Amino acid sequence: MEDKIISEKESMLLIQQMISTAKKEQTDSGIGWIVWGWLLFLASVFTYLNEKNEWVSSFFFWNLFGIAAILLVVYETAKYFFGAKKEKVKTYTGDLFDRLNIGFGISLILIIMSMNIGYPSIVPPVKGFTLLLGLYGFWILIYGTVLNFKPSIIGAFITWGFAFAGLFVQQGRFDITMLIHAAAVLCGYIIPGHIANVQFRKLKNKKF
Amino acid sequence: MFKDLDPILHSQLRLAIMSLLISVKEAEFTFIKEKTNATAGNISVQVQKLKDANYIEVTKQFKDNYPQTICKITATGVKAFEAYVKTLQEYIKKS
Repeated sequence: MEDKIISEKESMLLIQQMISTAKKEQTDSGIGWIVWGWLLFLASVFTYLNEKNEWVSSFFFWNLFGIAAILLVVYETAKYFFGAKKEKVKTYTGDLFDRLNIGFGISLILIIMSMNIGYPSIVPPVKGFTLLLGLYGFWILIYGTVLNFKPSIIGAFITWGFAFAGLFVQQGRFDITMLIHAAAVLCGYIIPGHIANVQFRKLKNKKF
Repeated sequence: MFKDLDPILHSQLRLAIMSLLISVKEAEFTFIKEKTNATAGNISVQVQKLKDANYIEVTKQFKDNYPQTICKITATGVKAFEAYVKTLQEYIKKS
């Protein structure tokens, strides 16, 4: 590209091309959704199986999930502060997602604490996981809307549908709650995450 | 009667730089170089012209012992870009 005068039509085409090039920086690879989604899904399914077979204590697999989640957070934080920064561009979308993730994390901790404080706990786990689904739906909807990614927008409403169903699960049927949780995570995180990843790889390989 | 197109923006490379910067919060010089496929020298000259027109802000700093140049569009730049696009649309509509 040079410093030359171009026609009006060429100017318009150039603007469109550059804006679309910059927009590629605002796409999400979906890897975060996939990792988070599969961790939640596996924890739910193994907890369901555990409820049926009574291998270990009820929350064993959720405790494992918690350890994995803490390790991931520590790794990401260390990478953020000490890793080589590859970002050559900062976007407003990136800023929004950073703040959204902080809000999501704090809300998540509050709900998890409400399921663990007191005996019996302030929020029984059967209902607590329903609240978590409500929170997932909120996060997925914002993400999907900002990125204009329909699978996530649809996934958010499906997640809320499962959350609504979860309200009617009776006390003592934690196994049903886990099935609902697994199904919601599959529709809200895993499927949209894999679709996003396929689209992301296609877009990155596309040459302008 | 057509308005004149802003001569600062009506140049291929300067317009490309502005179009990139309008879509992001801020970008490194290397990002602009990568996306426009222009030479560093040419970009430096055009960046300076945009800076002189107060269309962009340029911050020079060091990151991991390497010099880093960060460009960011200003409010004046956004206004000028919007006006340029509007005028451009009028030209295209009439032609």
